[in-house]
Amino acid sequence: MSRWGYFFRRLLLSIPVLFLVMTFIFVLLRMGPVDPVAARLGPEATGAEAARMRERLGLNDPLWEQYVDFVTDFLVLDLGQSWVVYADWEVTTIVMNSGPPTLWLGFWAILLPLFIGIPLGFYAGLRPNSWSDYTASVSGILWQAMPNFWLCIILLAVLRQTQGGGWLGFDWYAFGPEIRSITGTPSLDFLSWSNPFGAVPFPTGIDWSALAVDVKLILPPALVLGSASMAAELRIGRTAILETINSNYVETARAKGLKSRAIVWKHVFRNALIPLVPVITNEAFLLIGGSVIVESIFNINGLGRIFFRAMVQGDLPLAGALLFIFTLIIIFLNIVQDFLYTIIDPRVGYER
Amino acid sequence: MSTSITSETGEPDSEETVLRERIAENPGPALFWLAGAAVLLALELGRIAGWITGLGSAVGFAVNVIAGIPRWIGGNVADATVPIAEYFVGDALSLLLLFGVASLLVGLAPWSAADRFDFGASPRTMALLERAAVTAVLAALAVLFVFTPVGGLVRTAAAAPFDLLSSLPTITDHEVISNRGHRTPGGGWEGTFLGLSPAVAWGIRVLLVYGYALVLIGWVWKGYEIFRTHYRQADWTPRDDTFDRFRSHYWGLFGLVVVVLFIATALWAPAVSPVPAEENIYSPYSYEVEYLEDGEVATTTIGNANLDTQSDGQNTVGPMSYDEYDRWAPLGTTPNGQDMLTHLAYGAQTSLVIGLLAIGLGGLIAVTMSLLTAYYKGIVDVLTVIASDSIISIPAFLLVMMLSVIFDQGNHVLAEPLNGGVLLGLIFAFVYWPGMWRSIRGPSLQVAEEEWVDAAKSYGQTPANTMRKHMAPYIAGYIMIYGSLLLGGVIIFTAALSFLGLGINAPTPEWGRLVSDGQSFVSTSSWHVATIPGLVIVLVVTAFNALGDGLRDAIDPEAAAGDANTDDTGAAAAGGGG
Repeated sequence: MSRWGYFFRRLLLSIPVLFLVMTFIFVLLRMGPVDPVAARLGPEATGAEAARMRERLGLNDPLWEQYVDFVTDFLVLDLGQSWVVYADWEVTTIVMNSGPPTLWLGFWAILLPLFIGIPLGFYAGLRPNSWSDYTASVSGILWQAMPNFWLCIILLAVLRQTQGGGWLGFDWYAFGPEIRSITGTPSLDFLSWSNPFGAVPFPTGIDWSALAVDVKLILPPALVLGSASMAAELRIGRTAILETINSNYVETARAKGLKSRAIVWKHVFRNALIPLVPVITNEAFLLIGGSVIVESIFNINGLGRIFFRAMVQGDLPLAGALLFIFTLIIIFLNIVQDFLYTIIDPRVGYER
Repeated sequence: MSTSITSETGEPDSEETVLRERIAENPGPALFWLAGAAVLLALELGRIAGWITGLGSAVGFAVNVIAGIPRWIGGNVADATVPIAEYFVGDALSLLLLFGVASLLVGLAPWSAADRFDFGASPRTMALLERAAVTAVLAALAVLFVFTPVGGLVRTAAAAPFDLLSSLPTITDHEVISNRGHRTPGGGWEGTFLGLSPAVAWGIRVLLVYGYALVLIGWVWKGYEIFRTHYRQADWTPRDDTFDRFRSHYWGLFGLVVVVLFIATALWAPAVSPVPAEENIYSPYSYEVEYLEDGEVATTTIGNANLDTQSDGQNTVGPMSYDEYDRWAPLGTTPNGQDMLTHLAYGAQTSLVIGLLAIGLGGLIAVTMSLLTAYYKGIVDVLTVIASDSIISIPAFLLVMMLSVIFDQGNHVLAEPLNGGVLLGLIFAFVYWPGMWRSIRGPSLQVAEEEWVDAAKSYGQTPANTMRKHMAPYIAGYIMIYGSLLLGGVIIFTAALSFLGLGINAPTPEWGRLVSDGQSFVSTSSWHVATIPGLVIVLVVTAFNALGDGLRDAIDPEAAAGDANTDDTGAAAAGGGG
């Protein structure tokens, strides 16, 4: 099968996957053990009020009609209303409001590991079986096994401890821009928007001190959230370097007398990056799952924390809609990953 | 014990009789080994009988739940159509279920009735008739069990000997080596083992537990060696190389040791913990504790004592110390004043049950699906790809969270055992099988292309036999690798869920809940409450990852040295998320 044929087959497969996911969410919400009326009015709700609610939610319609309504609504992104957490708000509005902090967190949680994990992995791979390699590898393994929630509370305790001057006089509160609390939602108003080109707002200026505060607020949670990916990138980066360094073309380059610096930069690094592509796209899984915990502990009012609150308070439509959005993102990222693979790695498609 | 040897080394059934003959020829080494096994069994008979009772009640629960499924589906159908449909659909599905069980039984039985009674029908009809007959017998038995008192009688009769045996004292019992006692005015201890201090008595008991576990493993290994030197026909098998590779893989060995310690802690949780969980955690106000106060022995309920021994920042009972009621707390106390090590040991039990259930069931589904898809390919393969892609594209942690909350709020039957632990295990199995299936898909597709599979087909072996005998053994190793790597992930996820207050509810002990309870005291004198469980999680998860690495290098050395892509499944599986 040709490379593009493989890609389009994957693309085609994502359509039934999307429908199956929607069906699954529908089954969970409508046919699962939780009664929507009881969830909304309390377990004791009976009589006329419950009947009216039942009618309003459309629970008296035949099941297939409910299903068709549900699927069409979801497909046009009419995700319904929240019941409890933000009573009677449109889910889309909620997502618009709390999406940016999550995106900000995710951005840094991908960036930090990229600039710490991969260089460390490459460094270890270029000096195999040395002490620096062992240190990097072992700390990577331990770092990966640490649960995010535990890292969060330990990191918070350590940072709080530095208030008023901790070890070596380091004080996280006073370090860089001043912040009152080390947890909280970044305000993200460092960009000043205006409309020079008509209706579409366009960022025109940056408030650097506000940006610094936002970055400082997000660094600790992003470090925790990116920890697992950082370790994974370290491990795989190290293996990838070891593999390319022992491959024939590097041998050839060395035989023709190329300088080792040129070998490393021209031949080793670029090829070692290929196996890292799926790791980087896979981070989305970890980020979405981990954002629930990290946002809850660091008090960031993002999508993960709202999902958690929706779950705890029995706000099933909000939780279902958020789950659907996350799934959409992941399906999209999978397609992007296949696309990248098709472009970068010419071997894909011939072997599979 | 000969059967245990054969199943352990995976010999095909037909060789079993041969092995029996070989043992009959030279019974010496086998008897020696059996004698050792008998000694080990006698020392811990009570506890082993207790495990069997626990296993029995778990099986009973599973049977009850499965038997309830047809009725539940029937009820749903009745809601959508006419009420009478409930009985028809329910009974029809029950019969179908029994037919499935009958097919399994017939497949497993060494002989077949169809061979004995030959009245000229085609083999296909004969097989079908045989299964139908077994189904009828099973249905009759089921009716007898459900609608007459016979069921209850049989159940009591079966459980009685084990209940009796489980009350026998073992060498690791609290009654035999007691660490619960109180100081005497004269400065000694009363009520403890040999009048030693509780710390020493507890230490002796814990050493005995881990010593016993190590001897047990040594004995199993000895059994394999005896089998290898005295009873195995072949001088060498590929498995020998696998064992050799693993024995020189120190990272994997480290993982194995820690995993064994973890499993031993879980199995011997009552012996490792300094106080029984029932007294200290579940019903503290029904039991009393004696202690020395102002030179006199006083008594109070454990619940009251716990109120005074809380580790909540102001007041701390730290690791390796006695509390004011003369109770030995090796890892200190929790913010509720309960014993921390008891929580940790029983929490290990919870994690182990969930992990084994998740990986066992998920692995079973994954292996079955991989065999089916590799053998039949085509539409089965495409459907499985779609189903697995759908489950994988829903973020796992959120899916687990949602399922557990929905079942928990709906007060589903499954949410009862272990305060949601069993439910969590089932959810993990559902969420993780697609990942495992994907990981072993490559190897199983390769095996399906091998010549011996072709040969088996052309000799007229049934598809089921071909898959079971000629394909499954090659996949088993791979599922062990990924199972080990995933177990770490299951442990982290479980802890994360209970940290958030979901998943496993109190009072069942869980590591994540300990971290959650202690999170506000990390920078106070009660630092141990959140720190120690976190470190234990890191250690156990690292160990499972190491074991997985070791198994991979031992089972499939080429994959380990070769493709870096094989790494990412493992790396993504075990880390993060929680």
